[in-house]
Amino acid sequence: MEMILDRGDIPAEALARIGLEQVRTYEVTAREIRRFAQAVGETNPIHQDEEYAASTPEGGLVAPALFTQVFTYDDIDPALLPADGSPKELDVPLPTDRAVGGGSEYEIFAPVRAGDVLTVSRKLKDVYSKNGKSGQLFFVVVETEFRTEAGAPVARETATYIKRG
Amino acid sequence: VNSFSELTRLTDAELPFEIPALRVTPTHQQIFMFSAVTWNRHHIHYSKDAARAEGHRDVVAQRALIGNYLARVLTEWMASEGTIERLAWKVIRSAFPGGELTCGGRVVAASSSADGVTLFECELAIENTEGEVVAQGSARVRATGSPS
Repeated sequence: MEMILDRGDIPAEALARIGLEQVRTYEVTAREIRRFAQAVGETNPIHQDEEYAASTPEGGLVAPALFTQVFTYDDIDPALLPADGSPKELDVPLPTDRAVGGGSEYEIFAPVRAGDVLTVSRKLKDVYSKNGKSGQLFFVVVETEFRTEAGAPVARETATYIKRG
Repeated sequence: VNSFSELTRLTDAELPFEIPALRVTPTHQQIFMFSAVTWNRHHIHYSKDAARAEGHRDVVAQRALIGNYLARVLTEWMASEGTIERLAWKVIRSAFPGGELTCGGRVVAASSSADGVTLFECELAIENTEGEVVAQGSARVRATGSPS
């Protein structure tokens, strides 16, 4: 069955958030790189062993490919999160109460190393709905750009979250 | 053809080339660690009761964690001889602690970049033990050669 793309039933206050950008700056630490590698199961010592990493052409710890995921969600006080604890970034006013999947596209332009200072710019790129055979689904598209202090691109994520009522 | 560096000499006629599969089993500990390191407080990732109330049988592996399984397929295949330029995936069905996932893919096209480096376009997929598709993805990787 053909899915119908629609913005007619997206609340105006949700549409008004499209394009609003939030910018934050974070410093990458060796500890965070190690913790991320352990969390995703990357066992290559280039991500965990500083002595080994220093002996390689890289010269030090390098973060796993999707490391910038650690900066996707902000340090928001839990009292300010939606009731289900889901990320505030996704708290777009929609007639939905659960997330049902989604996807991501990562473009990776440069490696991330301990000591890097990254600027993270996030914006709501689009909100739309589709009527499928299982009912109405809402799509929330969030774009996040990661850059060095000097402005050089490090990575870009385009994430699509799917929600339903 | 065994190593990634030999693959750079493959011709189009030898494509698609199967990338060695990676088997991973998400655990409660891993899902917890991933939520902690990404500061994801969504309750379906730590509370079995909350996950069940939303129709899941246990806490749910994060969409973002699933992407890392595909990244590992690529990095373990390339060793230190290549980097990921692009990785996209969508989660088709939830994955849970204790359920083994087979993560794999294939090279579907090879080309040379402007600076003479080989680029591979890959199709990726993750299946559960029931043979159901958990995630589908695609990637472009860049052969940087062996580290000197």
